[in-house]
Amino acid sequence: MTSMTNMTTMTTMTTMTTMTTMTSMSKRSIIGIALLVALVLAAVIARLLIGRDPIAGGINFGWPVAEILVLRFGAVQSALVAGASLGLSGLLLQALLRNPLASPFILGLSAGAGLGATAALWILTASGAAAAPWMLIAVRGADGVIPGTIGSLGVLILVYALGRRGGRLDPLTLVLAGTVVATLCGACILLVQSLMPPASRGDSWMWFMGQVPEMPSRGTLFTAIMVLSIAFAASVRSAAALDVASTSDDEAESLGVSLRTLRVMLFVCAGTLASASVALCGPIAFVGFVAPHIARVVLGARHTALVPASLLAGAAVLVWADAIRQSIDIGAGRLPIGVLTALIGGPIFLIVLRSGRSRSGEWRC
Amino acid sequence: MLTLDSVSFQYGHRHALRAITASSDAQKVVALVGRNGSGKSTLLRLIAGLAVPTSGSLRWRGSVLSALAPARRALEVAYVAQRPSLSIDLMAREMISLGRFASRSRLDGAVRIDRAIEQMGLEGLRDRAFHELSAGEQQRCVVARALAQHETNGLLALDEPFSNLDPGELVRVFTVIRQRAKEGALVVIALHDLSFVDQVADTVWWLEHGSALAMGAPSDVLTTARLKEIFKCDFVRGPQGLTIEIRL
Repeated sequence: MTSMTNMTTMTTMTTMTTMTTMTSMSKRSIIGIALLVALVLAAVIARLLIGRDPIAGGINFGWPVAEILVLRFGAVQSALVAGASLGLSGLLLQALLRNPLASPFILGLSAGAGLGATAALWILTASGAAAAPWMLIAVRGADGVIPGTIGSLGVLILVYALGRRGGRLDPLTLVLAGTVVATLCGACILLVQSLMPPASRGDSWMWFMGQVPEMPSRGTLFTAIMVLSIAFAASVRSAAALDVASTSDDEAESLGVSLRTLRVMLFVCAGTLASASVALCGPIAFVGFVAPHIARVVLGARHTALVPASLLAGAAVLVWADAIRQSIDIGAGRLPIGVLTALIGGPIFLIVLRSGRSRSGEWRC
Repeated sequence: MLTLDSVSFQYGHRHALRAITASSDAQKVVALVGRNGSGKSTLLRLIAGLAVPTSGSLRWRGSVLSALAPARRALEVAYVAQRPSLSIDLMAREMISLGRFASRSRLDGAVRIDRAIEQMGLEGLRDRAFHELSAGEQQRCVVARALAQHETNGLLALDEPFSNLDPGELVRVFTVIRQRAKEGALVVIALHDLSFVDQVADTVWWLEHGSALAMGAPSDVLTTARLKEIFKCDFVRGPQGLTIEIRL
């Protein structure tokens, strides 16, 4: 019931903020947003109807019994919140870095968040009864979101520094730096997990693949919804500034945008969103990359529309992926969600990589 | 009034500008000239408040522009960069409307944007993707954005805004800029075409290796002897104004 209240609160906040921005939206934007809302609703219905019969086995299409419905509804909640967070995080990163290849997964933010959360858990386990109250609050209170955010922002700062060539951010160097840092974080996560007692490790293999929990922790879900609501409100408020920020630094400053303030605020939002989605579902590949591109195809380049659209597209992609994977039996159970999103997102990434440059050699975003 | 008092600027250890002292009243067109790398673009960035002088002071109507918040500064000065960002997925009209960002609460925004589009002759291109336009059309869009941003008695800092324009468009764009100066603006513009500067500028600031070589009226600054000494080629000043003499 608490989860449903949280969902209602988030939806109300989202709707109110969207209503405010609708006044400055074009007809195309309104139709596009309506289309994405329909896509999300269709995905939710599909996920509620498609499932695996836990008693008889096999794929089950149809309205389930109450016990199963609760589980499917839990998965829908997880996928909606994590997908929306990844979609918005990806949009903010692509806009602020002026890089259409950016996403929380590709730049290593998801891996950094995982490392932060795992390291915090290890410190907490190792310190045992001696753990300070603030440490307990930081790790348990926000279900790993706080240390995860520290990890994701640490990675963002590192990748940002490594991605600069000749004083300018190079899109491909940035992606390369993100991939290497993500690999390093992955290795560190395995190392930290091997240092922990077996009982505390959890199912690291499944976590690495990404998973949409059918019974998400209420605390994690609540934190993720709060993070998403605040980041969404900040992004809507900054949407016009994000349009201006797509020009060069000098142009954006001369047009009236304080880039330093904008970047600090929205990078924190992007890092926290990535961390919240990792706390909820683990690192899920390419949703944060694909969602903003779907939004751009449907609605164009103005961030007034792109902010709610990326959020909706992210939610739609993850819920649809979770619904589709229910019907794919690989013999050893259902296809892991991260594998499916990578299979969809990987080719799209390659298309953008091949076609994303303009005549001037710059990357369009 | 724009005043520069012994303004210097360094990139690391390299001196880009050395002790520039100059001033200009509003309603003027000031042309910045000089060879490539002489410091014109750096001086324009300082004038636009986008960089802080290493030493000296630069004031516009008594205010230090670089000390103002960007949103406040954008109401005082509009700037066109030498190499503006060209790979933007916005439509041409959306791109021009970015000029109203700092004044977006004002109700006359749409009127100002449409006026800038009309002045730059971009009516037929407003719904085209900016990145698909030709180099000259993109340049007119960027100037239109600055015009939409620019307040009547503000400062216009333009870094080679005519480099991709054909003669007809050059005359159109400069006529609008000249009109802005008449209405109360101060226009500071970096240019390479000295014949054009000779015809249209009220004042010329000539930079050489980051220092002010000469300042004054075009006929006093752009002398054929000085031009030959600097550029190692011949110029002729005749009834048609200043022209370059090419001997093949």
